[in-house]
Amino acid sequence: MFDEQEFVRSVNRRTFLKQSAYGVGGLALGALLGREAQAQSSPAWRGAGGRIKRVIHLCMAGGPSHLETFDWKPKLRELHGQPFPASFTKGQQLAQLQNTVLKAFGPQHEFVRYGKSGLELSSALPMIGSLADEICVVKSMVTEQINHDTAHAFMNSGSILKSRPSMGSWVLYGLGATTQNLPGFIVLTSQGRGGAQPVSARQWSSGFLPSKFQGVQLQTRGDAVHFVGSPEGVCQSTQRLVVEEIARLNGMLAAEKTDPEIATRIAQYELAFKMQASVPELTEMGNETQATLDLYGVKKPGDGTFASNCLLARRLAERGVRFIQLYHRGWDHHGGVKNAITQAAVECDRASWALITDLKQRGMLDDTLIIWGGEFGRTPMGQGDGRDHHINAFSIFMAGGGIKGGTTYGNTDELGYKSVENVVSVHDLHATMLHLFGIDHERFSIKFQGLDAKLSGVEPARVVKDILA
Amino acid sequence: MISLSHGKLAVLALASLMSFAAFAAPQKPERVRFNRDIRPLLSDNCFACHGPDKNKRVANLRLDQPNKSIVPGDILGSELVRRINQPEGDRLQMPPSYSHKALTAAQKRLLMRWIGEGAKYEGHWAWQALLPSLPPPLPPDNGREGSQKTSGVDAFIRARLAKERLAPAPVADKATLIRRVSLDLTGLPPTQEQVTAFVANTRPDAYEKLVDALLASAAYGERMAVPWLDLVRYADTVGYHGDQNMNAWAYRDWVIEAFNTNMPFDRFTREQLAGDLLPNPTPSQLTATCFNRLNMVTREGGAQPKEYLHKYATDRVRTVGMAWMGMTTGCAECHDHKYDPFTQRDFYALAAYFADVKQWGVYADYGYTPNPDLRGVNNDYPFFPEITVESKYLKAQIAQKQREIETLAAPLLVSQSWLGELNAYVQANSDGWESDERVVLTGNKAADAVREFSPKVRQLASVRLELLPVEKSLFRKGVRSETVNLSLAILGKDGKTRPVAIRHAAASAFEPIYRNSFAVLGVHRGWKLADTQAGSSQAAVYRLEKPIILAEGESLRATLPNCDLACFRLSTSPLVPRDPDGLTLPDKALTPRDYLLATASDADLFAKARGLEAEIINSRSGRTPVMVTERAKTPLIMRVVPRGNWQDETAPVANPATPRFLTSPSQPSSPGRSFVAGKGGSQRADSSPFPKEERLPGRGVGERSTRLELANWLMDKNNPLTARVFVNRLWKHFFGVGLSASVEDVGGQGEPPSHPELLDWLARDFQKDWNIKRVVKQLVLSGTYRQSSKSSALQRSRDPQNRLLASQNPRRLEAEFVRDNALAIAGLLNKSLGGPPAKPYQPAGYYAPLQFPDRDYASDTNGSQWRRGVYMHWQRTFLHPMLASFDAPNRDEPSCTRTQANTPQQALTLLNDPEFVEAARVLAASLKGKTDDAKLLEIYQRALARSPKPQEKASLLAFLAKVRTEYAARPDDATKLLAIGLAPTPTGNAPELAAWTSVCRVVLNLHETITRY
Repeated sequence: MFDEQEFVRSVNRRTFLKQSAYGVGGLALGALLGREAQAQSSPAWRGAGGRIKRVIHLCMAGGPSHLETFDWKPKLRELHGQPFPASFTKGQQLAQLQNTVLKAFGPQHEFVRYGKSGLELSSALPMIGSLADEICVVKSMVTEQINHDTAHAFMNSGSILKSRPSMGSWVLYGLGATTQNLPGFIVLTSQGRGGAQPVSARQWSSGFLPSKFQGVQLQTRGDAVHFVGSPEGVCQSTQRLVVEEIARLNGMLAAEKTDPEIATRIAQYELAFKMQASVPELTEMGNETQATLDLYGVKKPGDGTFASNCLLARRLAERGVRFIQLYHRGWDHHGGVKNAITQAAVECDRASWALITDLKQRGMLDDTLIIWGGEFGRTPMGQGDGRDHHINAFSIFMAGGGIKGGTTYGNTDELGYKSVENVVSVHDLHATMLHLFGIDHERFSIKFQGLDAKLSGVEPARVVKDILA
Repeated sequence: MISLSHGKLAVLALASLMSFAAFAAPQKPERVRFNRDIRPLLSDNCFACHGPDKNKRVANLRLDQPNKSIVPGDILGSELVRRINQPEGDRLQMPPSYSHKALTAAQKRLLMRWIGEGAKYEGHWAWQALLPSLPPPLPPDNGREGSQKTSGVDAFIRARLAKERLAPAPVADKATLIRRVSLDLTGLPPTQEQVTAFVANTRPDAYEKLVDALLASAAYGERMAVPWLDLVRYADTVGYHGDQNMNAWAYRDWVIEAFNTNMPFDRFTREQLAGDLLPNPTPSQLTATCFNRLNMVTREGGAQPKEYLHKYATDRVRTVGMAWMGMTTGCAECHDHKYDPFTQRDFYALAAYFADVKQWGVYADYGYTPNPDLRGVNNDYPFFPEITVESKYLKAQIAQKQREIETLAAPLLVSQSWLGELNAYVQANSDGWESDERVVLTGNKAADAVREFSPKVRQLASVRLELLPVEKSLFRKGVRSETVNLSLAILGKDGKTRPVAIRHAAASAFEPIYRNSFAVLGVHRGWKLADTQAGSSQAAVYRLEKPIILAEGESLRATLPNCDLACFRLSTSPLVPRDPDGLTLPDKALTPRDYLLATASDADLFAKARGLEAEIINSRSGRTPVMVTERAKTPLIMRVVPRGNWQDETAPVANPATPRFLTSPSQPSSPGRSFVAGKGGSQRADSSPFPKEERLPGRGVGERSTRLELANWLMDKNNPLTARVFVNRLWKHFFGVGLSASVEDVGGQGEPPSHPELLDWLARDFQKDWNIKRVVKQLVLSGTYRQSSKSSALQRSRDPQNRLLASQNPRRLEAEFVRDNALAIAGLLNKSLGGPPAKPYQPAGYYAPLQFPDRDYASDTNGSQWRRGVYMHWQRTFLHPMLASFDAPNRDEPSCTRTQANTPQQALTLLNDPEFVEAARVLAASLKGKTDDAKLLEIYQRALARSPKPQEKASLLAFLAKVRTEYAARPDDATKLLAIGLAPTPTGNAPELAAWTSVCRVVLNLHETITRY
């Protein structure tokens, strides 16, 4: 009836986690204890079978205007130039439009119907439009933070508190990665010709989780991963000798000391040495055909453009990286939103289309979740001929594993000011993403400073089942 | 089922709650204790709905104090017992299934046993008054200690070990011990000589003497500052959005100095929280108040000042909460704390203490958020208010560079003819300047002013520009400010001009021009003057890039484009001021140095002297700006805003007050004196640690409580938290884990201490005089500290986490010390104390995603390259990859626990970061041994304070043979390897040095090298 020994063992296991230096207790044992413990029965947060193996988050950093991309508002066009109805804006938070007269600013691009599903999307994004039947547009997003830095942090960590793990770190912590010689969470950044805002490494931080779960940013200058290249004057065979000698001496130490960290250290050197080969192999895109380069619109592989990064994203996906995030810094359109959207579309439309198309033709789209969108939306009120930050409504689209293509979900009011129907919070988005991974977001928690911290937050969040196929 | 006197059950029950008791040998069942056994269990499973948070409380039941569901002594009569034993899924089952919480069978039995024993509640351990405990007698088996004496610390630890039938480990061997204590106290390894001397020293007080020496070394402060800087989230940049630089490093130096001078902790506290409120505060005390300014701030366009002021306020509460109270208070921003009696009102009342700290929500004057206080402030401005303070480091740099220039020039023979000419010149021009006539500018708009001057003495090293007032102003009528941009040229006989370069200019007064938060050095790129400086004459002295000689018929042409001045005068001199930021020329006793700078007689030496002068200029006259606390005229209004909604203007106002559950004597403004949950309900309300009636003298009605009073409250001897929290963190520093493992949270969700009596004993002792060095010494002198870190199999099976400390805990070095250690082993370490942020090598392009302003990282090209990690530039959004890889926090938030990851990035850093490769090659080149054996021995002693074992030696010699072959075959590679880094490339046999560099790389990468055993 009661196994005393097992009980004591389980207590020891629990207290080990609770007392370990990082205060990480509880659930994702596999991630902490390595393969050995992974063999044990599945953790409490394991939900119904996962649909996806990876996420590629195309973060349109700066906050694309939903009114010029995915949310068609004819009524706003009618009201163009008129005072914006105060009934909408009274008592609401504004960013750069603080202390100004608010005027309606009509959509600056035409919308057309695409695909069999007839989704109404911006004419500025024809390539994405041609994927209408693959994607689900969520028109009723809301967020809580109105400035770039904090809004990115909220989108990533689900919290306004700093030092919280980003979603990529959460997923890596829970599931690990299938790659043996690349980091499991990789970030790429690119910069557009306009509308660029800074983005912080905080956005892919592992927060209070150990740094092994943090996102690794691939650099376009120098080594793609910091210090992945051997020093000048150290050829591969010499480096191999050095690494082997370190392992040998560490092994002697392990035999003498009772310190399990030594065994881990030996394994990490082996992995590091493998990365020294696998990272250049990853970023050296010479074996991609011209047809593929043309598909993505890549002129020079590895040039740090969004197009090149999309191609790299596919290569990362192929190699078993769990969470891939691309930041394109070019969507902060306070002024001249019409031309700015056109410019951003030049940079992103084709490449986004190509990535989805390429994954599909390689049979990988089914187990990949694509999330395309920014950290917030933009005001239906004009800021000159641009738009200000907006948190009450914005649009994103998703595609890939488990997503019902050719659909939209939720709605904003007639002026695109506020999400009013089937509102989706950032936490709902996180819950849905975790669900697709087969993770029950309510149980997926980590003890931190005495609390059960969750990606999907304290308040109830929901899996948006209606967008799932 | 509910039979409770069963011995086996009792043991199990105990095991379930005390990791360290999980192996307890079954003796007599110990009484169940609320704090140790029951509270964590209820806190984990029940308090979310039946705890202190009144807004989330269900069924009006709170289990953190006596309640209707528990009948003391009556197990079967207690509703709680009925509920927890309901079958799975039953409607009445507690905790309910939707909570995803469940009690184990053993936990249920324990609860029942506790009720059976009378359900005695206890106040939460951390808020209880410190117990006056005495060390227990030392158990008899303490002979293992050898000749070293044991301390009170050992008495507590040994008593507990004896009870658990475990023996302490033998004392560590001396080499291990000196390396351990050096790394713990200074973050640096012992030198080879120190190890040898200590090992050979058999005097009984050898270890104590060593500890005293380490405590007295400057490196001690650098070591001890690091955890404090984590707590107060010290950084060199503001963190949000553009992550601009902020001037805080003088505060970092203040912390280091405070530890070095052993400033008592109460003074340390008062000066940081409220140095500005002390009588006649000194610059040092004001520097300490930079503490209140270390929160992340923003300058993002469109940010709402009010929202960010709210963020800053909550950030400060979290910091004070963690640094002094060891509590996580963050949740109370939105609601009453769920597990601790800390209320939302307490949160904002604490925030209100800081409402007078002058700071702006958004650090700019944008059209959409106008801010007249910050007119003209752009992305290049620093973050006001700031003061300028002296820096010992900068002063020392200036003095040293001046000496170096003197030394450089000393061997020069000063030309006698030059001296003769100069004497005649000084006779004619007593201040050293030969002056042109005044130039008066007329006209009613800005215009280019051009003036030619042909001085008698044709050799020129300096040019002076004087601005002279006309009708009481330097400016043309109606002009309020002016930026003078002087350019110089030689006008030839042919009417053509050749530009004359200027390397620096000093001025009598000027307005700073900022770039990336720093005032631009010198006024030669723009001499900005404000109205307030225009009432009297001003002067600037321009140092020429190199001295010039005007030929016959040539003259000096000065151009002042777009000039708004009223009158100016030019002067020239063949001399330069000795102080690059001074205006006065050397007047007598000219030295070789004056000669060199005036004539550039030796081009090589002149170039070197000019480089040294540039470093002097960089030292900003030995002064640096630092952000400080200045009191705002009107404090911000703090409100207890529901759910942290900063837009709420109707919520009740919170005045400064300390948390009610720890009511203090110095809080007459704090309404009510209820001793609530923290005191264990009503049972022990009268045993509050604070005396009941005591008032601050001299406060009038309606006067706010101040930050100084908050500091006094924190340091009040009746406040049990501050001392407990501090010594608990010190314990972690020296033993790897705190006595209460959750150093960041001693609240209800934290872990009760493994040795509560020891913790209280240490805390009371610390309170006596707040003497940090004394407590540190007490810890490191203990036998418990000096034990070997090798654990026995028995110990591991009984106490897998080593919470009973039957041995020391090995620990990987923290990021900064991984670096310091390698540099020290190599002999590269720059040991200067304090100073501006250092910028060691960093991969290019790392700051590319930063803007406003655009950032690039220029790594240091001088000795600052090898400064200690504590001085590294702390860029919050993009922390140096080496620091980030080794788990240094970016310091957005206060933290007192660094994670200890073990990653491939760490391996890549140690293998390939030029810092470590350079250290390896410098180490290799510095080896004195003549034979391979001797060299290996030297490397091991320097890196690990020991000799290589035969097996290690054999392996390394075999490795050496292989890399010798490799580099002998590829000498070019050897040359490349030896050129990595700024350190001078060694001469000698390159392939041989490269082979030894490889050996050193191996050793610097060893797990043992980055671990303190």
